[in-house]
Amino acid sequence: MTASLESLPIASDRAQRAGERYTGMVLLAPTMIIMTVVGLFPLLHSLYMSITGYRPADPDKFQGFVGLGNYADALTDAQFLHSILLTLLFTVLSVGLSLTLAILLALLFNLRLRGFTVLRTIIIVPMLITPIAVGITWRIMMMPDLGVLNYLLSLAGIPPQPWAGEKISAMASMVLVDVWQWTPFMFLIIFAGLSALPKSPFEAAAIDGASPVQTFFMVTLPMLKPVIVIASLLRIVDAIRTYDTVYIITRGGPDFATDLLSIYLARVNFRFFNLGYGAALSWLTLLIILAVVLIFVKYTGFMRMVNEKEAR
Amino acid sequence: MSSSTAPRGSIFSGIGYYLLALIATAFFAFPIVWMTLSSLKSDVDISAYPPKWIFSPTLESFRKLFTELNAMDALINSAFIVCLATLFAMIAGTLAAYGLARFDVKNKNFIAFEVLSIRMLPPMVSVIPLFIIAKQLGIFDTPWLLIAVYTLNGLPFVVWVMRVFIQEIPQSIEEAALIDGCSRFECFWRVTLPLLLPGLAATMVIIFMFAWNEFLLASILTSSEARTLPVIAASSIKAKAISWGLGSAAGVLMSLPVVVLVLLMQKYLVRGLTLGAVKG
Repeated sequence: MTASLESLPIASDRAQRAGERYTGMVLLAPTMIIMTVVGLFPLLHSLYMSITGYRPADPDKFQGFVGLGNYADALTDAQFLHSILLTLLFTVLSVGLSLTLAILLALLFNLRLRGFTVLRTIIIVPMLITPIAVGITWRIMMMPDLGVLNYLLSLAGIPPQPWAGEKISAMASMVLVDVWQWTPFMFLIIFAGLSALPKSPFEAAAIDGASPVQTFFMVTLPMLKPVIVIASLLRIVDAIRTYDTVYIITRGGPDFATDLLSIYLARVNFRFFNLGYGAALSWLTLLIILAVVLIFVKYTGFMRMVNEKEAR
Repeated sequence: MSSSTAPRGSIFSGIGYYLLALIATAFFAFPIVWMTLSSLKSDVDISAYPPKWIFSPTLESFRKLFTELNAMDALINSAFIVCLATLFAMIAGTLAAYGLARFDVKNKNFIAFEVLSIRMLPPMVSVIPLFIIAKQLGIFDTPWLLIAVYTLNGLPFVVWVMRVFIQEIPQSIEEAALIDGCSRFECFWRVTLPLLLPGLAATMVIIFMFAWNEFLLASILTSSEARTLPVIAASSIKAKAISWGLGSAAGVLMSLPVVVLVLLMQKYLVRGLTLGAVKG
């Protein structure tokens, strides 16, 4: 703005710039205040709690300063490490599957046959449904004896499945629910990206005699990369935090087979009221999310993409 | 591009594509259809096996939702909390986006990424301190606590999406208004804001959706007075048993507003969901 304002016949350039900066700060003030009071302050409070033994439910235990003791405990907490591994497994499976499915769907719907617009609109609805409602519905459908899923399987001659009732199938069921709810999100974004691609590279590929598969891997996928990276990044961050559907369907069971990080954290905090330790665990979770995001960003060259976008 | 990625023209491949598209649509639509059917069944029909596809619909579950679970209070709470939080986030966030897009502010990128980092924060980190602080301030279990939290959660969307929308409006339009003697505020209010309306509407729908569907924070930061719809819906579930009709009815009731709102506003959905990064 300043560069172009300099050409305006306004008295002093320096006063103008100072005024600009001042107005800019005033505009940012409400956001900064909300972020400090509701965001930063609780965060620092939590950081402080994480170095204490604060647990209001047992007043006879030591509540004061324990240094990094909670963090040291966390590293040997088998339950916590188990939750981390489960969460990473869940995230990789869920994001990987929904990304694959979303790309296939986007390619299919990009054929733009008659009536596809309506079907596309129906497909995006799952991402709009309240996760608690998603949990309730899938839990009802996955009932082993009376549920409609096993009934549908029986029509196809497939024996009934235990769904959330057994360890491995419980994890698979949670991934299924997550894929069902969030593939539409990935699909919507990737479809938008696909629609915006220029035509000429595809024409060139066709002239060079590339097969559809070659065209997909050599032309479509590289050009879609920025969009895929953004969609995956948003999904990864949310998948690591998954809570609502698992809380409704399995509560982390059976036998801790779906005990994702957020479920374990909720137990430490709200069942055992071990708040100091819980705060340390949530800070470690935050660091894990940060690490995953940074690795992903570095590996996929996300920052380079953002900078190029800014430069344009 | 469609003509180059897939062979066309054959009737059989056309039917194949339709079949695939229909299977995919059925997979994504079925649970929603099932939830809706279950919400309209009587207690007898709902636990029938094999499941009933044809039955005489009843609104009994919805009636129970309002009499047994106090859904009306929750509905009012949800509407009040989410609407106010959306409004506050829109106002604060749009002002900030305008500041970042048009003014010479120090540490611009740092501030923008700080706002974005809210999107990454696990709610579990701040929920306990919020609970403790709210208890001390006496705002626990009041709508204001959730309003504050949801306002914060909406900010990254508003700031990032609106920044992109504002950057896309040519500065020359605003400069022309300035030269014509508009003040900076008039210039924003009369010239920029009307051009931003589609972007504002789209962002509003997205942050409304995320706040409306939020459960974890609402379940911990409220106890009886300020409970929102997802919280009372979750209370229809006990560890071992589940009231099918009640749960389904609650699911339909709370999902309906968002589905209607978003489907009406589909155009800029992608832009909003990706925080401005992908054009819809």
